[in-house]
Formats: sequence, structure tokens, C-alpha cells
Amino acid sequence: MVENRVSGEFGNNPVEMRDAFGATLVELGRQYPKMITLDADLHTSSKATMFKKAYPDRFVQVGIAEQNLFGISAGLALSGFMPFPSTFAVFATRRALDQIAISICFPNLNVKIPGSYVGLPTSRAGASHNCIEDIAVMRALPNMRVADPADGADLRAIMRAAAAVEGPVYFRIARMAMPPIFGADHKFEWGKGVLLREGRDVTLFGTGIMTTFCLRAADLLAGEGISAEVIHLGSIKPIDRELIAESAARTGCAVTAENATINGGFGAAVLEVLGEECPVPLQRIGVRDRWVDSGGIKELFTHHGMQPEDIAAAAKVAMCDKRRRSQ
Amino acid sequence: MHLSPEKLCELDEIAYQIRRLSLEMITFGKWGHIGGAFSMAEFLSVLYFQAMSVKPDAPQWEDRDRLVLSKAHGSPALYAVLALRGFYPIEQVYSYCELGGFEGHTDMARTPGLESSGGPLGMGLSVAVGMALAMRFNENARGRVFCILGDGESNEGNVWEAAMSAAHYHLDNLIAVIDYNKVMAKGFVWEEMAIEPFADKWRAFGWDVIEVDGHDIEALADTFHRARWVMPRGKPIVVIAHTVKGKGVEMAEFNYKWHTHAPDAQTADAMLRELARNCQRPEQGYSKLGAEEVKEEFYGGE
Repeated sequence: MVENRVSGEFGNNPVEMRDAFGATLVELGRQYPKMITLDADLHTSSKATMFKKAYPDRFVQVGIAEQNLFGISAGLALSGFMPFPSTFAVFATRRALDQIAISICFPNLNVKIPGSYVGLPTSRAGASHNCIEDIAVMRALPNMRVADPADGADLRAIMRAAAAVEGPVYFRIARMAMPPIFGADHKFEWGKGVLLREGRDVTLFGTGIMTTFCLRAADLLAGEGISAEVIHLGSIKPIDRELIAESAARTGCAVTAENATINGGFGAAVLEVLGEECPVPLQRIGVRDRWVDSGGIKELFTHHGMQPEDIAAAAKVAMCDKRRRSQ
Repeated sequence: MHLSPEKLCELDEIAYQIRRLSLEMITFGKWGHIGGAFSMAEFLSVLYFQAMSVKPDAPQWEDRDRLVLSKAHGSPALYAVLALRGFYPIEQVYSYCELGGFEGHTDMARTPGLESSGGPLGMGLSVAVGMALAMRFNENARGRVFCILGDGESNEGNVWEAAMSAAHYHLDNLIAVIDYNKVMAKGFVWEEMAIEPFADKWRAFGWDVIEVDGHDIEALADTFHRARWVMPRGKPIVVIAHTVKGKGVEMAEFNYKWHTHAPDAQTADAMLRELARNCQRPEQGYSKLGAEEVKEEFYGGE
């Protein structure tokens, strides 16, 4: 399965996001006695199994029944517990959308929803299992917070921040090992982005694992004498409007990159901010209104035009557009 | 289970008032489900005034019983019984379907005493399973979770996911109550989607089943007493209450056209008078006849 781990390419002790997820579940379980992890027959894949081993009495197996998974979570939250209903992102956000929307989000219940196996890297399962529209769908729900972590430390910080805030949260977990961007002391704040690299010519806005791809793209661009700013927006909703507008105003053009469809997702969220506050030429990297096929992970990123090279090329298009408009 | 004549009279009066208030709410609010509210009147009366432990002056009392209205379009009847039980002043029910008032479908943020929010069918039993599990986690052996479902609602797959899990977790602190009023939104249950043999389905899913006349107050009181104190032996319990959709007013009885329909003030007035006659009460018409005129009519067609 080495081909499924782009990590080798990134070097530097990559951390499997799922391991960070399982370990943080256990950490939070220690801190929050009212936390309960629920599962729909996928715990060894998602690594929720680490929580099951640590706290078997606070682990609830519901079988392959995602609608029931979220309904039960609502009932537990209404009784003062903090449920983490864990399953693959596709089954959470497609199969159980009504339960998430009306049983959980509408009454603003304290349920933390991990969406596992997001975007392209999901083994070779194909379109049914590649969750690409979850950002768009989840961010459309009132009361819901949405986050997509860049690395293991970011995921841990997001989970801590999810537990610390009252109300529903949806966060993404890619089935991928990522090189550390953030240190162990990394803090996550809702609605705050992180400036990772300053630049003058173009801003690369990344979320989730694509932030690492943006950093790689910035290296490629630097080789061509282009100074790219890189901003990580782990908090997709709420989003850091101030940082987005401020950076775009400075560089004059931007690229967004997400491990998801560009329709209504992260790029669209950035575009909404720019459209309202600081219209600049923008290119979006992500899945372009199509289903994701089976295939090797590296192959898929190339096929869908989501490699660092594609981000760098998009940056040059945005810069060209900026020049043309200023003439 | 013996109820004194006074208690029986009280429960009967509450059921009558649930119907009156529901009809007034739906008329004044210009939207709602008369049939499915009327069919629940007796068992809601028995639940809130006899079977359940609740404290209206302390709605968040930790050891209270919970009730999830899965058929959340029956909200007027629930709003009425909560008002009658003292969770809020009766006048407040007339905010039903008004902007900022009680929601058309249940919204717990708006109405004191509600234990859940709902609307889409098939979802409530899962929520009730979560509450029953929570009672287990909290080692609360006395508490019970009641969940009211419609008959047509059992077409939804989520109901059976929840049913399977309740039996798996041996939740004998969970009592589902089915308002088997025989009529769905657009026709009879047997026409739209056959659900029989209904009791056998629940038994096959690992539940204990009691069938009862859903308009017989004494039988209901006895049923809930048995379900709560006598029967629990590791299995969840379902009470299949055989009811009449629209019970109490002839034109609405077993008539799907009154599933979702708000009468005009004159029709409401006639319905309330008929209801009073049928229940041997002094005739009393629609009390909001005058107030009707102050409602905004500009947008029409509601």
C-alpha cells in the first residue's frame, strides 16, 4: 500500500492523520468524562478503536446504520453527553444529512462529527467513498462549524477546540500521512487563519492536507522568482475574513486549494469573502464538478489537477490575470 | 390499575381541551395537522397527567421522564398538553406558527417542556434511544423515555434501525407509543404502504408489544402502568394505540383531507361546537373569531 501514501514524497516523519485522530479521542476522553464515541462498524479504519480500547464503557456500537448513529448522538447530547459519532465522511454527510441537520444542528446540540476518509485519498474505493461535497454541504447548515486540518498537530488542536466550544462541529480526517507543519504547542482558533509564509505576488489559500501542497507550490514558484504567500485556513466556518481580505489586497491575486469539490466548498467560501470585500483574480484548485474514480492516490491528485505543480500553474494564471486587468 | 372517578374525569377533560386548543391553534395559526393532533388527545392526557414524572416548574429536573414527539407535525396537541400541565400560560399556544412563536414543527428552543426538535419523519426513535442509553450511563433506573410515532412514519427505514438498536441494548426503559390512526397524508395506510402485520414486525425486532384502544383512558392508564412497572425485562416496549384520525369531529375522522388543513374561522366554530356536543360539554365556538380580523391578511393564500 506504499503507493497510497504520498508521505514518502513529503519526507520528514509524516504523521498518519487517523493515528492523530485516535490518540486525540483518547486524550479528550480523559479530559471529558461525558464524552462518548459512537461508531458504525468502521472503528479500526477510522482509528476510533483507540478510544474503544481506552474507554470501552463509553464506546457505543450502532452497526451499519448511520441515520441511527446521528439520532442516538442527538439523544445523548440532549441528556448532557458530548458524542463523537464516527464514520466515513460520505456516510455522515450524505446518508445522514437530515439527521445531522434537524436532529443535531437545528437544536444546536453539542455533537462533534469526525468525517473520515475525505477527498481523494481513500484507498481505491471509487466515487461512492470519495467524499468531495461535504465542505459545501456542512457549511450550509446554520450553527455548524467546519474545519479541515493540515497535519496531525492541527487535527489535535481542532479536536480540542471542538470539545471546548458548545454546539455542533464537523471536522475532516484524510486517510493520509502528512509532514508536520505545526509544532506540538500549536493552537487552533475558530475563525482564525495562519500565515505560514509571507509573499508579495500571489496568495495561496489552503485548507486541510492541501496546505502542504500549497507550501510545496510556493517552493516551486520561488524557483521561478515568484514570491507566494501561503495561508492555512483550517477553520472553514467561521472563516477568517480579515486575513483573507488583507492578504488579497496586498498580493492582488489568489489561488485556493481544497481536497474536495470546488462547487460550494472552501474555494467558494474564500471567493464569497473576496467578492464582498476585495475582488481580485482567483483560481480554484479542487475536484471540478466530477466524480472521483478509483486509482492510486498520487495518480488521482495528478488526474484531478491538484498537485503542487497545478497550484503553481494556477498562481501564474492568477498573476497574469492581475497584470492584464491593471493594464 | 385503578383510577378514581375524579381522575378519569380530569383526564377526559384534558383530552377535550387538547382538541379544543389544537383546533384553535391551527385555525389561528393558519396551518397544521388536525387529524394527527386529535388522534393523540387521550394518550397525551394520560401520559402527562398520570403516567409520566415531570415537573413543570423545573422543566430541566434531571430525573424526569422524557417524551420525544417523532411525528412532530402533531405539535399542536403537545403544545396544548404542556400548557395544560403548567409549563407555560395557555395564551402562549396562540403564538403557534407566528414569527418568533411556537414553531409549526417542534423547536425545543421555543417551547418549554419540549425534549427534542423535529419535523422530518422517522428520526425521533433514534433520539429516544440515545436518551434511554444516557439514562443507563447515568445509572437512572426509574426514568423512562417515551417516543410517539405515527403509523405512516414506520415506512421510514430509520425507525427500524432505531428499533433494532433498542433491542440490541436491551432498553426496557424505552416505551414507544404508536398513534395507529390508520390514515396518512394522502390516503389510508393500507393503500399507501402496507405495514401489517405491524405488531409482529415489532416482536420480530425484539420488542414487547401491547395493543390498546387509544381513546380508552382507563385502558391507556393501565397499559402505561404495565409498560412502566410490570413488563420491563430486558426488552423495549411498544404500545400500539389504535386511534381514529381526526377523532371528535365527523368531517375530519379517517379523512386524509384533514391531514394538513387549517379551517377558516366559521368552519372552526362549527367544528368546536360539534366537538363539544360529542363530548357532552356546553356548546362553545371559536373563541378567536374577533381576533381573526387583526391578523395580517395582506399576503393572502396562506
